[in-house]
Amino acid sequence: MNHLNQQTLLDYYYGESDSPAAIDEHLHECAECAREFNALRSDLAAIPVLSAPVRGEDYGQQVWQSIRTSLPVYEAPQKKHPFGWLMSSPWKGFVAAATACLLIVAAFFVGRHWEHRTPSLAANHSTSEQGRERVLLVVLGDHLDRSERLLVELRHADPSTEAPLQAEARDLLSSNRLYRESVKQSGDPTLATALDHLERVLIEVSNEPGGLSKARLDELQKEMNTDGLLFEVRVLRSRVQGDVEGKGTGATTTKGVYL
Amino acid sequence: MEVHDHAIVRAVLAGDKEAYGALVARHSQNVFRVAFRITGDEADADEVVQEAFLRGYQRLSSFESRSEFGTWIYRIAVNCALNMISKRKVEASYQIGEETDPAQHQVQVADSSPGPERTLLSREIESLQAAAMKSLTATERTAFILRHMEDRSSSEIAVALDIAPNAAKQAVFRAVQKLRRSLAPLRVNL
Repeated sequence: MNHLNQQTLLDYYYGESDSPAAIDEHLHECAECAREFNALRSDLAAIPVLSAPVRGEDYGQQVWQSIRTSLPVYEAPQKKHPFGWLMSSPWKGFVAAATACLLIVAAFFVGRHWEHRTPSLAANHSTSEQGRERVLLVVLGDHLDRSERLLVELRHADPSTEAPLQAEARDLLSSNRLYRESVKQSGDPTLATALDHLERVLIEVSNEPGGLSKARLDELQKEMNTDGLLFEVRVLRSRVQGDVEGKGTGATTTKGVYL
Repeated sequence: MEVHDHAIVRAVLAGDKEAYGALVARHSQNVFRVAFRITGDEADADEVVQEAFLRGYQRLSSFESRSEFGTWIYRIAVNCALNMISKRKVEASYQIGEETDPAQHQVQVADSSPGPERTLLSREIESLQAAAMKSLTATERTAFILRHMEDRSSSEIAVALDIAPNAAKQAVFRAVQKLRRSLAPLRVNL
């Protein structure tokens, strides 16, 4: 006959046994197990149950009064705006970037229309075109600058900084898509490849469920070769910066970006 | 008619801060009892009660309506009590005394025996029990208290301590083994 082990006896004592009837029967038949169980019961019964000091009926009120001043009031949930979904993350950044692009495109066409109607201004066409390109290069330079900062932060990130990193990545992602498309059309393969690579990293960072753990950050840095990308972005930013300065001084530029 | 806990939680989350007072009043005695049993100190237990309800309020938006508020706040209180004993190192100064004395971390143990011999024996038992409890780790002791004194099941202990059910069972088992070893001398006397 197999004897009952201590864990089984303990489970039986506390009423957590899977088969109490079988154990009960065994204890009636096996004197050794019955002795062991009686010893266990006796030892546990000897350990007193600590009674807590009595608290008055107003104890709850006292506790409440002691904490109520330090509690903020929860804000009632706001009624949803019909276009609220557009303003919620991750659409918020996309909507902002799309609006900015629309404004730029609209300004471009208005400008062109204005030039057709006022031939006297046509002479200044090349100058204004250069100015527009310069603005666009500045915008792209700013985008690359922000991306560079994000990649540097990513390299030195610890899990506590994950939330701001993800928010920044989402914000950059929407504008990066637009720049990438524009760059593709303008025929700058180096810049387009770099922006494509950047977009994949931004997607990974933005969509990581449950935030970025240290291990995931290491994995991401390894998988996506973020160090290599950081170098590319730095080089491109310097190049774009050079182009901006070139446009500013009227010198010939190498590449431009057209939105 | 008593308002259900879930309705109060909804009211609090909708901006009615004062409604939380009803939840505190309803559950503070239970929370105090378990806090006292774990910390072994009245003042510490009071502090645990306040901290548990404070934390409960701060995390109220994460409270899931499929669970009971009483169970949820109980779990927070157990965690607060565990933090408290780690902070105060109650283990090192847990004593049995004549009177409950928070300053010395003493706990009064009920004594129903009348005669002097019986009193002496009872004190010897209590002192051995106190020493035995001291030999347990914080998790083992809390698991044992929840099982033996609070009558909680292994799965409830697991949830309260945020460990696997099997680990909770093992913690109680280890605690019982250690206590039995420490209390073995009593078997001869009894």
